[in-house]
Amino acid sequence: MKDNINLKLAIMALALGVLAIFGQPYSGNTVVLNTKELAVIVDNAIDHVTVEDLADWIIQGKRDFRLLDVRDDSQFQEYHIPLAECAPLSILPDYPIDRNEKIILYSDGGIHAAQAWMLLKAKGYRHTYMLLGGLDEWKDTILFPVIPANISPEEEAKYAKLKAVSKFFGGSPQTGEGTVETPEMAPTPMPQVEMPSQTTPVRKKKARKEGC
Amino acid sequence: MAPFYKYGLFNDEVSLIVAFIIGIGFGFFLERAGFGSARKLVAQFYLTDMAVFKVMFSAIVTAMLGVFYLGWMGILDLSLVYLTPTYLIPQIFGGLLLGAGFVIGGYCPGTSVVAMATGKLDGIVYIMGVIAGVFTFGELYPLIQNFAQSTPMGKITLPQYMNMDYGIVVFIVVVIAIVGFIAASWIEKRVGGATS
Repeated sequence: MKDNINLKLAIMALALGVLAIFGQPYSGNTVVLNTKELAVIVDNAIDHVTVEDLADWIIQGKRDFRLLDVRDDSQFQEYHIPLAECAPLSILPDYPIDRNEKIILYSDGGIHAAQAWMLLKAKGYRHTYMLLGGLDEWKDTILFPVIPANISPEEEAKYAKLKAVSKFFGGSPQTGEGTVETPEMAPTPMPQVEMPSQTTPVRKKKARKEGC
Repeated sequence: MAPFYKYGLFNDEVSLIVAFIIGIGFGFFLERAGFGSARKLVAQFYLTDMAVFKVMFSAIVTAMLGVFYLGWMGILDLSLVYLTPTYLIPQIFGGLLLGAGFVIGGYCPGTSVVAMATGKLDGIVYIMGVIAGVFTFGELYPLIQNFAQSTPMGKITLPQYMNMDYGIVVFIVVVIAIVGFIAASWIEKRVGGATS
């Protein structure tokens, strides 16, 4: 009886072993996209965060997200949002992030971030967001907000906050006299990032000892 | 998709509960295989009872086939499964040390916990030895750090190292296991009967 079971198990293992020769356990670089799920996410606009929210989070000291800059290294060196990590599209698939982390992606405009978002979504990263408007929007709204010369008293608080936020990130509010000045053309140099960024990782994860 | 933890299906705390349940199961089956007894375990080294070899090798083959086929079916993302980095020479040395401790003490770390849980005195003593050893290792680590980190090979698997197809290696391991089982039974008959 016992020998019989052993024999059956051995035959089963051998059969699976032979079949294994034709198999490939790694999925490689191919990914699967759930189009319906994507459509729902995009329709409900829950795939992005606004620059205002992001600025608030950074100021409040929230650190429950990873901010990834998908532009290339030189652009990253030039300027990046505080706390951002340099993760160009080419290395993004292998970038050390966990699938349950909250990930915010940004690029100059939005296209590269959207492509990166698609890629991570397809690879099973659940909490992935894009920065709405990207770095351009960040510059326009956070670093160099245009503040009209004559503001009504009701609006004062709002603009005071804008100014404070801008100062926090080393930007400078633009006071235009009704004419909207394009911040990119403004002579103001890009602020130097003073906050801890890629040199001190956002969250130094304690090396998790796995296995036995 | 698996691994569940890496896909965020549960968090750190829940993962500990899952580990606890799996650990209880592991211990239960070790005990049922007779591995709560130092006599049974040490008999392996005297070649009178090859149960340890058989149980461990069938566990390896079962896990290997399971992981391989789950990966092939796209359920398990193998690239996310944690691999212990290889440091060849220190790990060979550590393996020999563990083996020597195994023969002398009669248990390996997992089975010593099983023995302790079933109330065996030698198991309790063994666990105290394990704790003392862990402590000593930790305290001496600065001195042996250079050795412990020598010959690093990274997170490498047999198929990668031998530059072979994963499936071929799976097949070879299955064949080795079956041949090993036949040889083990033959040795048992020659050297002496099972001790259970």
